[in-house]
Amino acid sequence: MSSEVFKDATRMSGGRASDEAIVAMEGVYKRFKEFEALKNINFQVGKQEVVVVIGPSGSGKSTLIRCINRLEEHDDGRIIVDGTELTTDVRNIQEIRKETGMVFQSFNLFPHLTVLANIALAPRQVRGMPKSEAEALARELLERVKIPEQADKFPAQLSGGQQQRVAIARSLAMKPKVMLFDEPTSALDPEMINEVLDAIKQLAQEGMTMVVVTHEMGFAKEVADRVVFMADGEIVEVGTPSEIFDNPKEERTQKFLAQIL
Amino acid sequence: MITWLRRNLFRTWWDSIMTVVFGYVGLWVIWTVIEFVFVTGRWEIIQVNLKLLLVGRFPDELMWLVGASLTALAFWVAAVAGGSKIDLNNVQTIPQRLFDYTRRFGLIVALAALLIFLAADIAALLLAFQVLGAVVVGRLVGLARRKVSVLGAIPSIIWHPMLGSPAIALVLVTLMESTLEEWGGFLINFYMAIISIVLCFPLGVLLALGRRSSFPIIRLVTTTYIELIRGAPLFVLLLLAGVALEFFIPPSIAPDAIFRGVTVFTLFTAAYLAEIVRGGLQSIPKGQTEAGKALGLSTTKITYLITMPQALRNVIPAQIGQFISLFKDTTLAGAALNILDVLNVGTAITKQQDFLGQGLIYEALAFVALLFWVGSYVMSRESQRLEKRLGVGVR
Repeated sequence: MSSEVFKDATRMSGGRASDEAIVAMEGVYKRFKEFEALKNINFQVGKQEVVVVIGPSGSGKSTLIRCINRLEEHDDGRIIVDGTELTTDVRNIQEIRKETGMVFQSFNLFPHLTVLANIALAPRQVRGMPKSEAEALARELLERVKIPEQADKFPAQLSGGQQQRVAIARSLAMKPKVMLFDEPTSALDPEMINEVLDAIKQLAQEGMTMVVVTHEMGFAKEVADRVVFMADGEIVEVGTPSEIFDNPKEERTQKFLAQIL
Repeated sequence: MITWLRRNLFRTWWDSIMTVVFGYVGLWVIWTVIEFVFVTGRWEIIQVNLKLLLVGRFPDELMWLVGASLTALAFWVAAVAGGSKIDLNNVQTIPQRLFDYTRRFGLIVALAALLIFLAADIAALLLAFQVLGAVVVGRLVGLARRKVSVLGAIPSIIWHPMLGSPAIALVLVTLMESTLEEWGGFLINFYMAIISIVLCFPLGVLLALGRRSSFPIIRLVTTTYIELIRGAPLFVLLLLAGVALEFFIPPSIAPDAIFRGVTVFTLFTAAYLAEIVRGGLQSIPKGQTEAGKALGLSTTKITYLITMPQALRNVIPAQIGQFISLFKDTTLAGAALNILDVLNVGTAITKQQDFLGQGLIYEALAFVALLFWVGSYVMSRESQRLEKRLGVGVR
């Protein structure tokens, strides 16, 4: 299966939408000193696909998506994003980061900039967009995440849920081809989780390609095209939400689901 | 009133003793100072030598240049401050504003009044009004930039140097028209401090970045530099700059003492500043860099758009502390490099024939200390204001 994925990814430009893989990983390993965080990961994300990654903590979920935009450097194997292979070449890395948006658990908004400036920063500085155009784009995105009235505030003046929605808008401003979500609701108070999940769902409905690491199983069932279950740095099982949640084949998956549901 | 006294000063017998003892000591100190200032102090030594203390043997016919450059400098500062976009508090009432202005500028105005009184010269009064006018005009220009969109569109990197160019030009003209040996007094301390602060800031930031560089050679060089400079007493470095340069450079083209002083102050303060800035950079969470990377920003842009602005803002108190100490340390240059700075003038005038052997060193030193204290106080106040404006600790 893995070599198939690989070919699909490399002949990007001519291919039909259905067999284009935006992200393809083949035989990826990641080690932190002695510890193997990722072992032989073979994985693909198709265009407009929503993949949800679940698994116990320490299973390598975050490491997996952080490898996709090179926040972590993989030690072995190949990662191809939108037809470009991740190598040590800085230009390649920059290209890939322009096409992948990432939303973090702890928001990581820039505290010294207003909400509007947070969102307009990357389009201006990376894409060279004029200030007025970037700010118009930022306002439009704030409208989309339903907080247009917060544009001139500073991040510290916003609630956690609002901050995370600003972070989503900030990533979208680069018009990425794929969005990576690293536990986007884990740092939120319970009453704010839904407003963020709704924003992500809306994105999924609009056809955004996404990889979401989450502990929100309800969300996974509802939104995912495919669910990936990881444990001990390996992908244990991949399937549709009903396959994974209603009918898990692997013992480790069954155990994990029994614990959390 | 009486209940307040009871509660705060005389609650127990021990409190009462402390209140009486410290109250007595405090009153005694205040009385002694008042007595010195108004009764026993013989201030004619300051009055007679006021010009020497402030500008040394600066030629009279060039004094207008000093006044003009001070005016241009005041205009620049007022324009930059008046044009900053964040207002501390819009709902201030007029009495509150007056109180705020008094706290900020009262001391400077009082010092200016004292100097004009001592000088008893109409030119000094005119200069004061000239500077005041420059501040008002500067503030209006700054405000205009906020209100008029055409001016607001000019990028800061062009706007600020443009406003500052008259000041810089006038200082340069003053330097060219006079010889450095003619400079003296507080003027020297003031300009040495300002020039060193302006020069050491970028150098300190670069050193801080160098020490965090991923290139081992750059790290080694900057770390060695910082540790060597920080390991030596400032006074020793100043003395070295005075004598050791002759080993390398023939005396005929050896730089002037003031130039050496500025060089040492710049290099010395930059090393300390580098460590302050590095501390600031370390306080920025890793997530900030990661967010910048994830958006596709280059490492350089992440540094100057994201981490460095936050780091510099976090270390404002330490930076200003370093600048204040640099300002006061300029008196060391007087001693080490034989520059006729305000302290040297202050001790020299007590040896004039009219004042010799009369124990007037107290008056001279008190006046020198007053000049530095007012300068340091203003720097410290304005830095607190800057912190509030930038919202340190609020985010």
